[in-house]
Amino acid sequence: MRLALLFLVLIAGCSKDPAVENGRLLLRQFGCGACHEIPGVAAADGRVGPPLTAIASRVYLGGTVPNSPENMARFIRRPQDFVPRTAMPDLGVTEAHARDMVAYLYTLK
Amino acid sequence: MKILLFVLAVSAAGAAAVVRLGLYDISATDQHLAPTYWLLDTAMKYSVRRRGNDIEVPDLQKADLVRNGSALYRAHCEHCHGGPGVAPAPFALGMTPAPVPLVHTARAWRPQDVFWVVKEGIKMTGMPAWKYRMSDEEMWAVVAFLPAMAAMTPQEYRSEKAELTPKSDGRIAAKAPDPARGRKAVEQYACVTCHAIPGVVGPNFPVGPPLAGVGSRVMLGGVLPNSPENMALWLRAPQAFAPRSAMPNLGLSEQDARDIAAFLATLK
Repeated sequence: MRLALLFLVLIAGCSKDPAVENGRLLLRQFGCGACHEIPGVAAADGRVGPPLTAIASRVYLGGTVPNSPENMARFIRRPQDFVPRTAMPDLGVTEAHARDMVAYLYTLK
Repeated sequence: MKILLFVLAVSAAGAAAVVRLGLYDISATDQHLAPTYWLLDTAMKYSVRRRGNDIEVPDLQKADLVRNGSALYRAHCEHCHGGPGVAPAPFALGMTPAPVPLVHTARAWRPQDVFWVVKEGIKMTGMPAWKYRMSDEEMWAVVAFLPAMAAMTPQEYRSEKAELTPKSDGRIAAKAPDPARGRKAVEQYACVTCHAIPGVVGPNFPVGPPLAGVGSRVMLGGVLPNSPENMALWLRAPQAFAPRSAMPNLGLSEQDARDIAAFLATLK
């Protein structure tokens, strides 16, 4: 019974993952939408870089690095490490923030 | 009337079931039934003849044309079609339909029909279109070589040393960029295998970013301000701007790059 209850709590937690929701907020707070179109993020309709629609299914990030949650977090934090001349700025995103942003972006399949 | 509708509905349901249940064997090891093969082969021949009718055949007897054709044949055709005494490469033997020996084609087909097939390719067979890879003159050279090859012994074919004539610089853009030509070229450089491109039928896989709205995107590859001129430069040499880019250099001619850039600029 207790196990079932725990299971229910976990399920309920999943449906509104705090990391995902925090990531959505952070993507707004860091102004990602000024340059990228991001479904589900308010006013994110930028056309400077590529749209992030279905970014979870994209094979390469920045055209150079195979897409994985780890690589995406690294790319967000230090894009110049992957594309030296990229116009995407280093926005000083912390590791924890990047992780939550990735959690949200990985819901975009 | 009711019966007709019923029959139509049952046939449609049957066809849908065959598709959805995966009943059709798509494997290359499962050849068509003889009547299906005959039908496809016959349709292909008439289709080619109809299109070959409008093509004017140049003088194919010139020795330097045949010599260049020999080199081009060995570089581009022999892997799949083999030659006198030379088998196709292993991968080509695994193809269905199997690439045919062109020593037979040289005897059985009109040169204008062979030229058309070389230039345009044949859907669903593995025969590629060479028109974005070779000039008309080079394709005629291949056509000119085939009868010469068909008249060779295997020893003669093997001992002939053929060297490619350096390309005349037909790769410099001569015409104004044309979005309609670019739209066709997009298919011929397989762009749609890695990018989703509105209006282009194909895999549309998300290997790279989708190109919907790319005409109004600000940066290309994150590194280059977007303009038709820069797009053409990017397409011809992505690594010149993003050294670690996974986007390959596809060997576009300047004209093809400008035409494709003109087409992409229309995707607002």
